[in-house]
Amino acid sequence: MEKETWIERRGDAELIEPIAVVGSPGLRSIGKLVMGSLIAKTKATLIADLYSTHMPSIYQTKPSYAAHPMLPGSGGVIVKSGEADFPKVQFYACSTPSLIITKGYHANFEGQYEVAIKVLDFLAENHVRRIIVVAGYGSKDKKICGAATSKELVAEMKEKYNIDIGYSGPFMGFSGLVFGLSKRKGMEALCLFAGTEPKEDDLEFPDKEASDRALDKLHKILGFHE
Amino acid sequence: MNVEIKMLNEFTPSQLILVCGLPGTAYIGKLSVDYLIQQLKAELVGEVYSKYFPPFVVIREDGLVELLRNELHQFKDESGRTIVFLTGNSQAYSPEGQYEIADAVLEWAINNGVQRVYSIAAYITERPFEAPNVYCTTTTLALLEEAKAHGAQLLDNGVIGGENGIITGLAKKKNVEGACLLAETHGYQAPTGEYVIDPRAAKAALKVLTSMLNLKVDMEPMEKQVAQMDEAIAKLVEIERRIQKEMAVSGKKPAYVT
Repeated sequence: MEKETWIERRGDAELIEPIAVVGSPGLRSIGKLVMGSLIAKTKATLIADLYSTHMPSIYQTKPSYAAHPMLPGSGGVIVKSGEADFPKVQFYACSTPSLIITKGYHANFEGQYEVAIKVLDFLAENHVRRIIVVAGYGSKDKKICGAATSKELVAEMKEKYNIDIGYSGPFMGFSGLVFGLSKRKGMEALCLFAGTEPKEDDLEFPDKEASDRALDKLHKILGFHE
Repeated sequence: MNVEIKMLNEFTPSQLILVCGLPGTAYIGKLSVDYLIQQLKAELVGEVYSKYFPPFVVIREDGLVELLRNELHQFKDESGRTIVFLTGNSQAYSPEGQYEIADAVLEWAINNGVQRVYSIAAYITERPFEAPNVYCTTTTLALLEEAKAHGAQLLDNGVIGGENGIITGLAKKKNVEGACLLAETHGYQAPTGEYVIDPRAAKAALKVLTSMLNLKVDMEPMEKQVAQMDEAIAKLVEIERRIQKEMAVSGKKPAYVT
């Protein structure tokens, strides 16, 4: 098997300088929930799937942010309605507004960079200039804070959308690397972090409330009117 | 992007010496090299990026995102010699990555006429000591004698984990003179598994290194760090002693597994 990470085209959409929105099943599924809601709202269609031999084949074979029985996501072959498929990153697109919505997935430790770079190459090929990443961060404050690839973008987030910086520290896995590597690929990126707290009886529950707050901010940035 | 060395400015070294101190056990290498960078006001001249660093990024306090990276800082001394310090916020997480990054940095150094490669690492011991010994392994016997003359002791057997060791091994393979200085440490770890920094060991390593490099460096700030750390360690030891005493009284065993 030669190709370690590859993309299979599934469809086309008319895109003019699209904005990419990226999220993955990270902290309390916030990124994943937001991507799901955004795809439903925009009626975006699937344009490509990214596969990689670095995707988890079983749980926890190595130090990994990959799928874990206690975390959202799955390892190995995923069977849905009787059909088998692999873990994958999916790209959805819509024309109005011009968006590529990226549903991320965590590859094993050694493949995370490769997958993130491949995702960014695909976005660059589709003329993406700006990326918006959505994720969660552990905080008692139920608010949204931001981070970006440039000082100018940090200022823009504050001025235009009233988003302050607030989280500092590590940003793990797929979404973190797509965010961090974007500048090297000639794109700018900003990230919305939604504050989330664990429940005592369910530490990694999908936090719908936090994802709704992030979605609301994202709608404002994208110019959606409710 | 297996490994990318990005130079930030024009780099014109003379009689280049490379000093490596990447984060590892008790952060001795990083602590030592960071200290020299600070004291000598060495200038950031290059950055090393790699897919072999652990897969996360860092969000800074000013809201900007940063990749994990190693850094090259240069110091030109009065004699015109260029010393480049290699440090960073991570080592590669895998042996493949550690070899590849060490090899790339070394090749870069060779292309820039490197004359000698130093690295600083840890020597974990259970031996109680007042002052840590500094052991040395080198690529030539002549260099070993030189290191001994500056206060290091021969490391007659053992292993050196991580890139600070690999770079010395690779230097020998590439016929570059190299020395790895290993400072004794007890390698205390916090309950989270992270190493506690050991400035006392870093100070000992720096004593040998600065002597070998004939560098004048103010060690007072490092002395202060040693005193602060001594205080913190004494508190940790006291807490541990108290817990053990309480457990002995109650008959309870530690709840953690290793």
